[in-house]
Amino acid sequence: MSDFKNLDPLLHSQLRLAIMSLLLGLQSAEFVFIKEKTGATAGNLSVQIDKLSKADYIKVEKAFKGKKPVTTCSITTTGVEAFENYVNALKNYIG
Amino acid sequence: MKESELTNSESLQIITDMIHQAKRNIAKKGSFYFLLWGWVVMVGNFGYYIIASYDLHHAPHIIWSITIPAAIVSIVYSMMQRKAATHTSQIDGVFSNLWMAIFASIVVVLIFMSKMEYNHNAIILLLSGLGTFVSGRLLKFNPLILGGLALWLSGIVAFNVNVVDQCLVGGIAIIVGYLIPGYLLKKEEGKN
Repeated sequence: MSDFKNLDPLLHSQLRLAIMSLLLGLQSAEFVFIKEKTGATAGNLSVQIDKLSKADYIKVEKAFKGKKPVTTCSITTTGVEAFENYVNALKNYIG
Repeated sequence: MKESELTNSESLQIITDMIHQAKRNIAKKGSFYFLLWGWVVMVGNFGYYIIASYDLHHAPHIIWSITIPAAIVSIVYSMMQRKAATHTSQIDGVFSNLWMAIFASIVVVLIFMSKMEYNHNAIILLLSGLGTFVSGRLLKFNPLILGGLALWLSGIVAFNVNVVDQCLVGGIAIIVGYLIPGYLLKKEEGKN
């Protein structure tokens, strides 16, 4: 279990890892899209997005599409680096 | 999806699943434009060839006015798509910049077509081939790659025939390079 120390605790969580993996392949994604793809509840997703945003792993932008408020997320350079480190640590753990 | 302790295999599974989800959405692209422009350019080319060959009108190039409503439809459609989109991929940006650059190049070629003694069709075919080939590589869709190659080949043929016959070559090339891959892409999009 000591090897788990190398795994970023912020990413070593089901939903946060799913959000990061999804955003890695996209330029940006709206909250509703992430919710649909991860199958998470709006409340839980909101909390996890907030944690990733505070760590500067993702950028969250709030805007209006017509009259509708829209939250858009995108992965940051820090987030990409953290994700790469996480995958490398995972590889070491497996290997 | 809930919060719980992850095993390494679960982590890998989540990463794979989510990257696959993003990839599936990337593949949903573009057939509308290939079909719209495929039909418009095919009608334009064959129309010009028939009008010029049988001397049906003193200004056969009038047929190309069909590109004006097509351009308007393209712009409106892309604006609607952008408004409705809940996500954008890196490929979306590359895809639209690529075709915007090709469109700009085609416009320049059309402006100076008289300097080329109206042999511009071959260059337009080469530019369209470039866009189709790169789109095929981006979407990892072989019919578009082959379509791009067919358009390049028709560009070479077009350089060696007269201006009117270039339209016949262009019309056939568009069926092979745009319309067939466009319908195959539409079928593929329907599967996702």
